Amino acid sequence: MTANGWFQILFFLLAIFLVTKPLGIFMTRVFNREKTLLDRALRPIEKILYRLVGVDENHEMRWTEYTIAMLLFSGVSMTLLYLLERTQKWLPFNPQKLSNVEPGLAFGTAASFTTNTNWQSYVPESTMSYLTQMAGLAYHNFVSAAVGIVLAIVVIRGIARRETEKLGNFWVDTTRCLLWVLLPFCLVGSLVLVSQGVVQNLKPYTIVELTDPQTVRVTDADGKTTSQRVTQQLIAQGPVASQEVIKEFGTNGGGFFNANSAHPFENPTPLANFVELVLIFAIPSGLTYTLGRMTRSQRHGWAVWAAMAFLFLAGITATYWAEAKGNSLLSGADQHATGQQSGGNMEGKEVRFGIANSVLFATVTTDASCGAVNSMHDSYTPVGGMVPLINIMLGEVVFGGVGAGLYGIFVFVVLAVFIAGLMVGRTPEYLGKKIESYDVKMAMLAVLILTFTILGFSALAVIKPFGTAGISNPGPHGFSQILYAYVSSTGNNGSAFAGINANTMWYNTSTAVAQLLGRFFMIIPIMAIAGNLARKKTVPESAGTFPVTGALFSTLLVSTILIVGALTFFPALSLGPILEHLLMMAGKAF
Amino acid sequence: MLDIVFLAATALFVVMAILYVRACERLKGTKS
Repeated sequence: MTANGWFQILFFLLAIFLVTKPLGIFMTRVFNREKTLLDRALRPIEKILYRLVGVDENHEMRWTEYTIAMLLFSGVSMTLLYLLERTQKWLPFNPQKLSNVEPGLAFGTAASFTTNTNWQSYVPESTMSYLTQMAGLAYHNFVSAAVGIVLAIVVIRGIARRETEKLGNFWVDTTRCLLWVLLPFCLVGSLVLVSQGVVQNLKPYTIVELTDPQTVRVTDADGKTTSQRVTQQLIAQGPVASQEVIKEFGTNGGGFFNANSAHPFENPTPLANFVELVLIFAIPSGLTYTLGRMTRSQRHGWAVWAAMAFLFLAGITATYWAEAKGNSLLSGADQHATGQQSGGNMEGKEVRFGIANSVLFATVTTDASCGAVNSMHDSYTPVGGMVPLINIMLGEVVFGGVGAGLYGIFVFVVLAVFIAGLMVGRTPEYLGKKIESYDVKMAMLAVLILTFTILGFSALAVIKPFGTAGISNPGPHGFSQILYAYVSSTGNNGSAFAGINANTMWYNTSTAVAQLLGRFFMIIPIMAIAGNLARKKTVPESAGTFPVTGALFSTLLVSTILIVGALTFFPALSLGPILEHLLMMAGKAF
Repeated sequence: MLDIVFLAATALFVVMAILYVRACERLKGTKS
């Protein structure tokens, strides 16, 4: 680890701290339908949209109506994306004449982008036409992010409102989120990325002559190896910047190119890298301030932020330490950081990013449910690769996905105040609302669906040939690849241990089911808690009320997250990265 | 054929999710 690396990491956290308040205030104003600077331009568009589709903007919904509207919207959007993928060959904006996407892959990708997972078991530049990328994938990048954000807003309203069944209007919230929050920031953000060299065009791919032709050995389907002289290169391009910015700002993560943010056309400079990192955490961090502002307990919002920041620092410290230390089996190689080299474990990492910016990206993208990568997590040391895995296993509540991070940590808040209530023998309260058995049951349903899906699918995949056929390494590393696939899918993260071949019927369909369960079957009980809280009266604070505004609450919240995560996933981790680390220490690699 | 299977699976999932919403709502009505 170097001082320079730590300076960059802490500077990033400072930047996140600084954007939290202004963004939080802005989102509060947008969702409370208060005045903003953008109203003059956007309010007329908003009114026209409601008139066109027949939405009554003053109609407020119960949690059930809100949730069903969200489900139907997501179902229709997913179907449209599936059909678009299956017909892209006959549609415009396909200069490379790419064929229709295979049914299993189209289904998996449709589920993946609808759930904000953006898991990609294909090579985008040779699979998806420009139309599919723009009207299908980028569209979902926006709307799946908007859905996550508005659900978090409903949870906040559930806490803040009293004695009401009404929690807002799904169509109004989603429209305002798209028009006021996502589109304006992405418009500016994409121009910033273009200024750094991210490409944005609709041109066919360019063929260039290599200045240094190469001779490569190619093995055909029959196993015969021949030498080939390569003199040309096909350079993929397209409308990258417009997709890149929402990829991070909406914590989606699906890259325009297979190499994702390691590709120089997606992430060309250190400044572009920094901007992309800030974009990932901006909304999730801002929403903690929105939580405090809308519930009139700003200190509670900051207490949640502090718990998240602590877990972020703990994760980055462990990953940075493991990767900077390098691989103990490479005894002959110089792995020390110097002015000439990053040192440490540089396999799967870009030299231009080095260790610090690679591990920072890996930690941020798995703390959030983003899944964008600028290095390959499969190539990390066992401990370094375990931290991204744990980040997702904890429910991606360390700032988390847009909206998903906040409503995810809300489950742990409910459990934390319940545990605190048990300790002092009083009915637990949360910001003036009594937490009852129904709320705790719903919170546990949200936790258990993730556990059931991750461990169930992983167990099935490791004992069946259709599961083990996808792994590229034996032993505990192969197990980690499978576990990561289901953790990432269920957690709607989308990053992968890149060694796994997931473009098979089994992985395309099973990860799609995991993504759908992890997204929607987690959301439903959380929405039920929000609906139940909104109905309740508030009770005045008393001497027995557990304060949710200070360091004690943050500590209890962190402990609850870690205990639930450890009790659930420690056995699985011990079979994967922990065992691999111990075997590496004993001189065995996989 | 696979197209029909996948489109039907999508519709089935949405129906199941809506039933889950109803089940969670009903659970509120039962004594705990």
